[in-house]
Amino acid sequence: MPQLRDSGTRAAHEAGATPAAELDGFGRIFGVETEYGVSVTGADRPVDAGQVAMTMFRPVVSRARSTNTYLDNGSRLYLDVGSHPEYATAEARDPMDALAQDAAGERVMASLAADAQSKLRASHGEGAVIHVFKNNVDSAGHAFGCHENYLVRRFVPLETIERQLLPFLITRQLYTGAGRFTPDGFQITQRADFLDEAVSSATTRSRPMVNTRDEPHADPESFRRLHVIIGDSNRSQWATWMKLAVTHLVLCVIEDAVRHGRPSGFEDLAFADPAAANRAVSRWLGPGERGASDGAGADPAGTPDPLSMQRRYLDVVEAFVRERHDDIDASLPKTGVDDVIASWRWALDALERRDFAALSTRVDWAAKHCLAEALRRRRPDTDLARLEQLELDYHDVANGRLYASLVAHGRLGEPLDAATVAAAKHEPPSDTRAALRGAFVRRALDTGAQFSCDWTTMVVSSPVRREAVLLDPFSCEPTEQYRALMDSMRA
Amino acid sequence: MPQQFAQAGGSQQERPQDAAQENQGGQTRSDVEFDALDAVLDDIESTLETNAEEYVKSFVQKGGE
Repeated sequence: MPQLRDSGTRAAHEAGATPAAELDGFGRIFGVETEYGVSVTGADRPVDAGQVAMTMFRPVVSRARSTNTYLDNGSRLYLDVGSHPEYATAEARDPMDALAQDAAGERVMASLAADAQSKLRASHGEGAVIHVFKNNVDSAGHAFGCHENYLVRRFVPLETIERQLLPFLITRQLYTGAGRFTPDGFQITQRADFLDEAVSSATTRSRPMVNTRDEPHADPESFRRLHVIIGDSNRSQWATWMKLAVTHLVLCVIEDAVRHGRPSGFEDLAFADPAAANRAVSRWLGPGERGASDGAGADPAGTPDPLSMQRRYLDVVEAFVRERHDDIDASLPKTGVDDVIASWRWALDALERRDFAALSTRVDWAAKHCLAEALRRRRPDTDLARLEQLELDYHDVANGRLYASLVAHGRLGEPLDAATVAAAKHEPPSDTRAALRGAFVRRALDTGAQFSCDWTTMVVSSPVRREAVLLDPFSCEPTEQYRALMDSMRA
Repeated sequence: MPQQFAQAGGSQQERPQDAAQENQGGQTRSDVEFDALDAVLDDIESTLETNAEEYVKSFVQKGGE
């Protein structure tokens, strides 16, 4: 993960960047950052995948003269030697917009891979195939991440978020987990075995589940950026939407409770050992494929049953939404809060019934699980290597066939249509700061200007250095500084 | 425009009350699922003929998070 710089200055902060309306409401800025894996098969001689990744990115990196570059949809691509290619979605006010950006990221990676593959075939044979995996573990047990970002109101203490959000994040994996075939059976998460510490606001050194970064990319007086590490990379669009939408509602409850100085209702929900609970959730199906018929109940150590934990969160959120329905609904420009609640309830009910067929149309781990069962019916000698191969194919956004086939045959829903995803490749969300950054990048590319960005600052470096600093991610309104920067790029 | 995620009426959803019922074609819900998954397996048949271990082992990448 690149270290993110704090690019604002105090003076700029005091110049009225506080989005007071947002502080009082329930508006949220969402982001998803995904590290991708790269491999090559079928080459006529050995190829280093890291080299291949660099080749994929060459057209992008050389343009930016940097390992970090921003696209005209406002998102960020990152590639460094020895790192995973990474795509971070532009700021979105709604989970649907973040989802569209994330899906666009898959297409961006696929396009880069396709171009690199053509070049690779010229030198390494026509059978060479570049795979780009949107997953979390390679074949040697190296793990990498899919992280979510949420702007949360700064008046909520970090310990409060840790205590009250973490059990939710651990147990939501029942319906957001991507699943993984292992020698010891099928787990419903990719990464539980690789995360070993609870909430930390320190560095990523010790793989914390949640941390807050002190670079909020917004007015630091009003907001902090909650960086959620515990989450799998999803192919299921529904799962990505649910991660964002349901977490948003839980955060609304927590924020509002602190705002009014009263209990949230999440106070007594906790795991004595969150890392152990995380590993236990991952083994929800049990030692065998189908798990215990009475469901995964409380273990001898008294860890609460994960499904019950999710129901507790749903109960509190539902009551809160009943009380504040229109305010909450207004916080999301596109997503309806009633749809979120209905989807959440649907998932928990299906889990309770162990209705894997129903779950398999929306939940990544269930889709894999049902496919594995079908495969074993057809070929009883199916071994772990074959399941691992199909699992990788499922996550391969460049050359995988399984995901597209599941969608085509109606086994996986795809809530976004192709036109929305195609548009999101080049258009930023229109109602956040991303709109301004996207337009800036577009103009810089069209006029051949030398430019650089980060989340808050845009710079043109030649012939005269000019910059614009935009601290409020909620605002899509051009400032004078921004207008001057844009005008300076006319041909 | 964003599509509805709501459970009710979603064409991709099998509702619990359908579990014991048959659709017009005389198939149970689980038959429909099995047929679709068989079609998926047909689609990826050529993948099922390749060397799985080689494919899997080719993916090794450090440097995450």
